[in-house]
Amino acid sequence: MKRAFTAIFLLCICSGLASAQIGMYQHGSVIRMHMADCGVTRHSFITNFGSPATPNVEEYCPEYTLLSDNVVYLIVGKSSSQLIPLAQSIDFRLQKSELAVRVDDAKRESKFTIKEMMVRSEWERIQRHMEDRMKSSEEQTALKSRD
Amino acid sequence: MNEKHPLSSLLAVFGRRNRLRLSLFPLVLVASFFPSHSAFGLSPIGAEDPGNDTYHSTASEVRLVFFATDEHNHNVQDIQKDDFAVVDDENVIREFRSFTPSASIKLDVIVLIDSSDSILPHFQQEITNVAQLISQSSWSPEDNVSAMSFAGLQAHLICSRNCRSSFTVDQVVPGGAATPLLDAVETATTLLSQRRQPDVWPVIILFSDGDDTISKASFKDVQERILATGAQIYAVDVRNSGRSRTQNATLQSLAADSGGRCVWLSEGANEIFSKVIDDLHSARVVTYALPQSNSAFHSIRILPTHNLNLQFRCRRGYYHPVAGLHQEDNP
Repeated sequence: MKRAFTAIFLLCICSGLASAQIGMYQHGSVIRMHMADCGVTRHSFITNFGSPATPNVEEYCPEYTLLSDNVVYLIVGKSSSQLIPLAQSIDFRLQKSELAVRVDDAKRESKFTIKEMMVRSEWERIQRHMEDRMKSSEEQTALKSRD
Repeated sequence: MNEKHPLSSLLAVFGRRNRLRLSLFPLVLVASFFPSHSAFGLSPIGAEDPGNDTYHSTASEVRLVFFATDEHNHNVQDIQKDDFAVVDDENVIREFRSFTPSASIKLDVIVLIDSSDSILPHFQQEITNVAQLISQSSWSPEDNVSAMSFAGLQAHLICSRNCRSSFTVDQVVPGGAATPLLDAVETATTLLSQRRQPDVWPVIILFSDGDDTISKASFKDVQERILATGAQIYAVDVRNSGRSRTQNATLQSLAADSGGRCVWLSEGANEIFSKVIDDLHSARVVTYALPQSNSAFHSIRILPTHNLNLQFRCRRGYYHPVAGLHQEDNP
């Protein structure tokens, strides 16, 4: 009887922890991706104290622009094969200075280095400004071509 | 207190790379007033007003043929529209105008046969496989199959479009010291480009050892031409796979960049046929609106939205001319 109570108690704690973890996730959408120099994510110790004889092998890591409700993140993978599923909505959480993305089918998290962050309202304001500039330039070009 | 301009804030955040992009804005804007090209998988839709003034409107869409495989490199048939996203010049695209199997697409196939001296030891095997490939009944009645051989200084057209009924083994005569491989690929690509039609998929099946000895065209020129035409290359390495475990780098690169595959001749006719023709029939075609870009070259990558075990194969990119950009903007 005592064992049964202990088992139920542990089960409750585990499910509580799991739900707490799920609750910690934020939602976002990847809107841009490109392959960038992995150098940013490499530990500076290796760069500073690594053997000078080590050849510089250029490696490219995936860099993503992740749009969440309030913040826009620029995150970089740690290797060329570290990919995020590009679903419309992905779950992620901040963990120290990294961003952990939940990979649904693999039932695991994948951690990315945060390169830059920006408040979404500010990011949207900049996007609008860029679009306006583009439109006005388009209009000017159209006028010139008509002349 | 100084008020920061939003543009300067953007530059501060996204760094030098975007600064360069902003400097290219005028070029993009100029480009948006030029009609886009119909070749290379871009489909233009034009509108003209019959009144005194003529208004031109051009909208382009990208048409992309791709293949899905699992972690064991087996074709995956039940791919759905929401299983993948296209990364077109950094933009993640999930909204597609259409998504169809390739079975409805007609093929325009050129079989390129290396008949130079360097492949003489394998010539009989090569030509037997070519004949079997061409005469297979799995072609659709509307598919065009042509054949060209190359040796010496140039490529020769053996039969055009109707090879399934007219090709015979004795039409290909071996010999010719030099191998104009790249020139032959360029000639085939040009031919496919000249007779390009919507809903016809250009394909080159290249039988060669991959050694080029005399071509005038450079590898880069040919690569660009292939991407520009949107042709898919299946390379059949005619060397003995036992002697060299790695396939020829030229053949591999030509195939991979175009979204095709490289196979060994020693795998046998059935295996080659299965890998090439079944592959063609298992392809999917997706279309989407052309995204804005500062570059004439749009790199393409297809990635899964849920299952990271899925792998997607397609051409490396396509060209969409942007007025005012220099050649350096291209890869």
